[in-house]
Amino acid sequence: MNKVLSVAKTILAWVFVVFCLLMAIGCGSVSGSILFVLTAVLSIPLRIVRNLWDKVLGIKEIPDLPEDTPAKWYEVKKKKEQEAHNNAVEDQKKRRLFKPLIIAMAFIISFAVAMGNSETVSTADSVKESTEVASVEVAEAVQETVAPTATPKPTETPKPTATPTATPTATPEPTKTPEPTPEVVAKVSEEFSLSNVAAYSGKPYVEINQNVPYFAASELSTTSYEYYSDLDSLGRCGVCIASVGQDIMPTEKRGDIGSVKPTGWHTVKYAGVVDGNYLYNRCHLIGYQLTGENANNKNLITGTRYLNVEGMLPFENMVADYVKETGNHVMYRVTPVFDGNNLLASGVLMEAKSVEDNGSGILFNVFCYNVQPGVTIDYATGDSALDGSVSVKEQSTPKPEVTQAPVVATPEPQPEQQAPSATGSYAVNAKNGKIHIVGACPATGNGDSAMTDPVYFNSYEEAESYSISIAPNQSKRKCGNCYR
Amino acid sequence: MQVIVCVDDDMGMLFNHRRQSRDRVLIQRILEIAKGKRIFMNTYSAELFEGNENICIDDDFLKNAGDGDICFVENVALSGYIEKIDKIIVYKWNRRYPADFYMDIPLIKNGWQLVENYDFKGYSHEKITEEVYER
Repeated sequence: MNKVLSVAKTILAWVFVVFCLLMAIGCGSVSGSILFVLTAVLSIPLRIVRNLWDKVLGIKEIPDLPEDTPAKWYEVKKKKEQEAHNNAVEDQKKRRLFKPLIIAMAFIISFAVAMGNSETVSTADSVKESTEVASVEVAEAVQETVAPTATPKPTETPKPTATPTATPTATPEPTKTPEPTPEVVAKVSEEFSLSNVAAYSGKPYVEINQNVPYFAASELSTTSYEYYSDLDSLGRCGVCIASVGQDIMPTEKRGDIGSVKPTGWHTVKYAGVVDGNYLYNRCHLIGYQLTGENANNKNLITGTRYLNVEGMLPFENMVADYVKETGNHVMYRVTPVFDGNNLLASGVLMEAKSVEDNGSGILFNVFCYNVQPGVTIDYATGDSALDGSVSVKEQSTPKPEVTQAPVVATPEPQPEQQAPSATGSYAVNAKNGKIHIVGACPATGNGDSAMTDPVYFNSYEEAESYSISIAPNQSKRKCGNCYR
Repeated sequence: MQVIVCVDDDMGMLFNHRRQSRDRVLIQRILEIAKGKRIFMNTYSAELFEGNENICIDDDFLKNAGDGDICFVENVALSGYIEKIDKIIVYKWNRRYPADFYMDIPLIKNGWQLVENYDFKGYSHEKITEEVYER
């Protein structure tokens, strides 16, 4: 029985050693790794290590009791020896207790140190601090070091000024998942503040810091990776960062993202005022064409059509082309900027720098406004109304009710983006991204001209979004027959 | 002189002193239409034609180019040389990019006429449109 227990103990000890070594590899912190290795070494169930422990703990070998003799005189001595022996055994037991305690302590310290570079500050904390100095807050105004097996530990208080920056401190592993990447640090840049951003004046974006992003040299990575901050306590997205390389760009068509409802989401139509009618889009922070993220709620914010198409898309296009043509990497960071506790972002800070050529191919730092000309928006809630500054265009679309809706805000109770289905008002040709109105064109019929692989949607917004994802370069997205 | 430019949907050419886009198939197309003639360009553009012997690098190339010379222009304003230009070949990316430097010759006006139009698929662009304008 004792032998079985002993073997079990040894096996457990080895398991613990292996675990510590894995932690050492995965924790991503040099000091943490060293401590984990030390803990592992101390836990190795080998004689040499045991002897070391015995020496340190002052454990000595207890001599066996002499064999019994029938002599009576021995009884007294035997009792004394037995007593001494028992005391020694008890003492040894107590001393041996220190070993697991010390190892446990060492493990906890290793764990804490490993997380030493990590910091997650709740949005609530950020808000509290920001209200002391400025009313501006960047959601997920955080500095995080994320290790796959370890828990982040605060090490630095985030600055109250809304300043997004993210810093990979070592070369992270390429990943296609939104899993935290080892050594990715997403922190608020101290140099950016929403209060310093010029008010929207008709241009979808404004240059920040003379178009120089806030990346430190150590943050630039020639290994592809992507990282998306956790949602804050209000459910808002935070800093997203990626080293965009060909290996993480999508090879498949974009999937459905309608299941995600970012903060501030409303389905509101302004036919004739907003291109595509719908005011809000689910805006990818890091565009689908760059990292292939579909319905990742950490990467989707509520953004106006204008922000999505006029503000962000051109920059994504530029980065995507560069990466495809050169095979180089682009360090790319997008930070949604929220004012206080607003649910709708005021805009997004987009930073990019090509890595291998040190920015000679791609270099920008811009703030894209989350506005929609002709519409006033309550950023606290996402509510909106027409402001009359944009004249309503007549809709040329003959059929769907979406495009012929009255020109008033028509909030609907959480209407989701529609997933591709077998029926719908719109059909997108999956081969070329052309958008057809079902029934208005032979392409949506059953004849020879019918599309071979149509994808149906109930709203134009969804159809267009899908079309852009599968054929971003399609210059004439609307079918000429359907939209005469 | 013939001028070759690349523009986006808004006739943009550069953003933050950097080209909006590039495409290796387009470069081959330019070499094709040059038919062995030398293509003049400045140092900035030369990297796109790296390893090709048919290019002539000159940072003052628009000033020095003569009749019939082909000039590939990315980051130089053209309006100052309009009198020397008799043909403009515009490559349209058919995409939108950020821009702060634009093609500064209004092609619709000033008697420029579209004489050729050709679409082709690029390496990273679904469709690139080649438009040839002559006076």
